[in-house]
Amino acid sequence: MSITRRDFLIGSAALAAGATVTTPFLLPKYHSDQRPKLSRVAILHAQQYSNHLDQILAAGLRLFPISVRGKTVVLKPNLVDYIPGDAINTHPLLVLAAAESFRRLGAKSVIVAEGPGHQRDTQLVLLQSGYEQCLRDEKIRFVDLNRDQLIRTTLRASYTGMRDLWLPRTVLEADFLVSMPKIKTHHWSGVTLSMKNMFGVVPGARYGWPKNILHWMGIQESILDLCATAPIHFVIADGIVAMEGNGPLNGTPRPLGTIVLADDPVAADATCARLMGFDPSRIVHIREGARFIGNASSALIDQAAETGDVPVAPFQVVPEFRFLQAP
Amino acid sequence: MPTVTTDPIVLSDLLAELALRQLPCGGWAALASSSQPAIEPTCYSALALDSVPVGDLARAQDFLLRTQNPNGSWPVFPEDDQGGGWITSLVVMALRDLVPAIPARLQGLHWLLNCAGKEANWFWKWKFRTADRHVRFDPDKYGWPWFPDTVSWVVPTAFSILALNQIPCSCGGLEQIPFRVNRGVEMLIDRVCPGGGWNAGNGIVYGAALAPHADDTAIALLALRDRAEDPVVQGSVDYLERTAQALAAPCSLAWAILALAAHRRPIASLRSSLVALPNLVSTVDTSTLALVCLALDYQRALSAFGVTL
Repeated sequence: MSITRRDFLIGSAALAAGATVTTPFLLPKYHSDQRPKLSRVAILHAQQYSNHLDQILAAGLRLFPISVRGKTVVLKPNLVDYIPGDAINTHPLLVLAAAESFRRLGAKSVIVAEGPGHQRDTQLVLLQSGYEQCLRDEKIRFVDLNRDQLIRTTLRASYTGMRDLWLPRTVLEADFLVSMPKIKTHHWSGVTLSMKNMFGVVPGARYGWPKNILHWMGIQESILDLCATAPIHFVIADGIVAMEGNGPLNGTPRPLGTIVLADDPVAADATCARLMGFDPSRIVHIREGARFIGNASSALIDQAAETGDVPVAPFQVVPEFRFLQAP
Repeated sequence: MPTVTTDPIVLSDLLAELALRQLPCGGWAALASSSQPAIEPTCYSALALDSVPVGDLARAQDFLLRTQNPNGSWPVFPEDDQGGGWITSLVVMALRDLVPAIPARLQGLHWLLNCAGKEANWFWKWKFRTADRHVRFDPDKYGWPWFPDTVSWVVPTAFSILALNQIPCSCGGLEQIPFRVNRGVEMLIDRVCPGGGWNAGNGIVYGAALAPHADDTAIALLALRDRAEDPVVQGSVDYLERTAQALAAPCSLAWAILALAAHRRPIASLRSSLVALPNLVSTVDTSTLALVCLALDYQRALSAFGVTL
């Protein structure tokens, strides 16, 4: 069979058109592979919020070869809103314990920073949730990330298609960024853990309340772009009392009795998901994050303390996310 | 008759602090620790410093005029993208008494009239009616988004209504004002929380009622001053009046004072609570500092928002 010049040109054009359409789907959507060879996770047991948390946390941190001496440590808790009796926010006593631990490890400064995504009056959430008093007593500086100085930042992944975001200086200039999520289910993203917690760094003053642009660009995609761009150096997840059901605001408190420490946010979130009775590979941002941010596979996670028990009953979720529950 | 605060010394101290925070460019930064000027704190500060002999109001107004986008909108801060956002409505109000600003304000108003929540588009309306129904709202009732290409929210809608209501006529390309204001009012009424009051705009999600916020409620109530007889408005004023008694955060308390005054509810005890809050003068958030000044001078502040008592 002979190929005419006309056949050749048509074939070439079709090939070029096909490549144009398919290449964006085949090329990686991240700029660099940030995964460590091996990640470390420690599941600490703590049944209640108490003044002993600093001892538990200090012992847990000794399991990690981290160095914060002379560094600016930014603690990013999950502080959304306040509803009496609900387990919405990272507990202030855990944040205080973390601040104390990092100070003892020689940090130059420890800052607590958050930009609540639901409540615009940040000071009101701080007051109602008990943060204001704790931070004042311990002389810990708080930065409202919804109103911090902003720097246009090129995103280091392209899951959303956004080229850049305005992000807070405090986060971008942190030497050591610690994500401190509350372990919760989430009616839009399945779970909200250390990676989803980064929505709080997106400034409400620029993007509104809630941070609606991230929902329009895709929640899972936004999580990946954010975590690629503002890397989390360490995770301290509050699972002493977690939340199940219609989280992140209207769920039910679920005592889990754990604090999860990790030097890798993907490993942290995969571990937390397992503790919730979920299959982490079914959570898009964990599965995709395991391609370039961190490790989700148990084989690549060194359990530095006890292994977590899979709960008797998986966490309750809204119907759309029942597929997360591991068999 | 000028408003006399219960504690004029507090007010003068706060105004002096506000004046000290003015940046050389004429604007104010959002936080006391920042040197990046932003439009929102500048608007509140300009309103607070209007007709008092501290600060450089002319420089603030000039800053606002210089930062307008070519499309008539205002950015959140000077280096921001030029697409504009909700802050446009607040600037239009902050420049209300400045005659040379009339063309800029008109451009801003035209931009506001062309800006609508994404659910105003038939496709998104259809999506919210059929496929995406976890948040309870009527997509026929739309207002203004925080930024173009997103859906309507309570605070930007309320500020836009306040700004558009200040225009005495709907001519010269502004014929859409009554229609847009009415749609915005309907949207606010639709988004109310089940027990009264508003949050960002999600009253019910996944069948569960979400709690209202005092500041969002107060801003919505300012915009709904002309609908005071509506049961939704009355219920929300009641909610705010109950909630305000326990508020210890100056921003929410200041907004509550303004809204309750607008709806002719007693505010004397709330003003006393506000001036009694500790360390007001060292409030980090400059918008909050300015709002406290406005709440302590509430008659003038309400006039600036176009609310007559």
